[in-house]
Amino acid sequence: MQYSTEELMIVAASKQLKNEEVVFVGTGLPMLACLVAKATHAPNLYMLFESGIIDPKPVHLPKGVGDFKLLKGATKSTSLNYVLSLLQGGFIDVGFLGAAEVDQYGNINTTFIGGTYENPKLRLPGSGGANDIASNAKRTLVIMPHQKRKFKKNLSYLTTPGHLQGGESRYEAGLKGGGPSRIITDKAILDFEPTSKKMRVNALHPGVTIEEVQELTEFELVIPADIPTTLTPTDTELTLIRNIDKEGVYINKK
Amino acid sequence: MGSVTNKFLTLDKAVSLIKSNSSITFSGFAHSVTPLAFIREMIRQKIKNLHLIGIGEAWAVDMLAGANMLSKVSLSNFMFEGYGRCKNFSRRVENGSIEIEDFSHFAQISRFAASAIGVPFLPIRSLLGTDVESSNHGKTSKIECPFTNETLLAVAAVKPDYAVIHAHRADRNGNVQLFGNSTSIDEQIRGSKTVFVTVEEIVAEEEISKYSEVNTLPAFLVDYVVEVPYGAHPTGMYRYYSEDFDHIDYYMDACKTEEGFNHYLKEFIFDLNNQWDYLQKVGIKKLHQLKADPYLGYQLGNKLVEED
Repeated sequence: MQYSTEELMIVAASKQLKNEEVVFVGTGLPMLACLVAKATHAPNLYMLFESGIIDPKPVHLPKGVGDFKLLKGATKSTSLNYVLSLLQGGFIDVGFLGAAEVDQYGNINTTFIGGTYENPKLRLPGSGGANDIASNAKRTLVIMPHQKRKFKKNLSYLTTPGHLQGGESRYEAGLKGGGPSRIITDKAILDFEPTSKKMRVNALHPGVTIEEVQELTEFELVIPADIPTTLTPTDTELTLIRNIDKEGVYINKK
Repeated sequence: MGSVTNKFLTLDKAVSLIKSNSSITFSGFAHSVTPLAFIREMIRQKIKNLHLIGIGEAWAVDMLAGANMLSKVSLSNFMFEGYGRCKNFSRRVENGSIEIEDFSHFAQISRFAASAIGVPFLPIRSLLGTDVESSNHGKTSKIECPFTNETLLAVAAVKPDYAVIHAHRADRNGNVQLFGNSTSIDEQIRGSKTVFVTVEEIVAEEEISKYSEVNTLPAFLVDYVVEVPYGAHPTGMYRYYSEDFDHIDYYMDACKTEEGFNHYLKEFIFDLNNQWDYLQKVGIKKLHQLKADPYLGYQLGNKLVEED
């Protein structure tokens, strides 16, 4: 079956999740990745949402983390404070993040672009739960488009911690969580070199070259000798995704 | 605090108690539980120069910013789920007319929680090593734990003058019930000086205690109650009515430009006298279409009544 890049990314993200892990989920592709994981290799994955909803079994695909459809089948409906406290308590294995800008250590900006903090050229939504997720989850997964204006040498503002200045700097700052483990883009999967914590190419999507990925990245990527190709989605996975999002809420929008 | 006898107010009277140059926080998460009838009346009464202290109430901040009523905003995140940036709010920040302070969700809710439990700060483990640690006019400070010597971040308590919450129902004493997830409401009401709650309906006290397992705000935490059916429209109320996405689409289109939003304000606020006129304008057919299915708690949009 033919697949879209988004479908490839959803499957790639779902494979990063293990059964019985506790996942802090956001709207969009992360929600689909979790639902795919639950329907395949990770049936006992726990999904948590910052709106205060824990472990839902929605019968209709929610349009966002604030959608009442998420309350269906939830084992606990509680508060923002409770679920964010779970992060700080160390109960969350994986957190999903998005980014307007990312740097070579996986630090993220979602606050403003251009100008100054007081007079920004473009004001963005702000941290929300992202800083809390990135500070405290055991690991995080970032999903974002691969563009030169987004993969930046210098961020306008550091909203959400990645590996900070690399090396041991994250630990030295007092952060308990493990930081970003993978960045999944429309071109590649990236990870971080274990010592320097610099961004490294982990896999290239089918048909994408390493030159193309470096060209779309402002800073220099760590490029290993052998780079595998991202696994393509199986027919079963594609059927599953299209069944979960049959109305085109997030993908193949109508 | 209002006593039981004067706890119940009309919407215009309740809103008239909100003073210009004060600080305020609102319920609201994504496209739900936002006290928008109260906010529309605030815009009608032209209350000015407010400091909004928010967590996720995108609709509240965007409407008030668009109506030029905010001078300062402390926030963790404002975006319209599924639509993106809050255009009115962003425009006012970008032209320098709103001063901002950024936090994360947990930092901001911890500031309310500190106030709620009567301590001047709470220690957290977020924001360390980032620019958010220093974007808030000194309301966070790195501290060393006196017991373990660990580095933590102290976040200062915040106590807004007013919290305005929309909930499902209240009894005649002012006990308030909210169905579904409570988002930030428990901390907001305990952390604010004066609490206004608008509710969909007033019910008998026995009805509230019959469902005491439901999230309840005890009457002694609530200062004023206003009965406002469809008080969250166009946002939704779990088990009562779904979000009005036709109206939401219309709003998102309107707020792309200053002129567009001014037209929206005229059409849905200034040209109307009150919430009843507003509901007339929305129309009984639309309100019926939004009514939640009692099993699901939301509306799938498959009611038999056709769209106009």
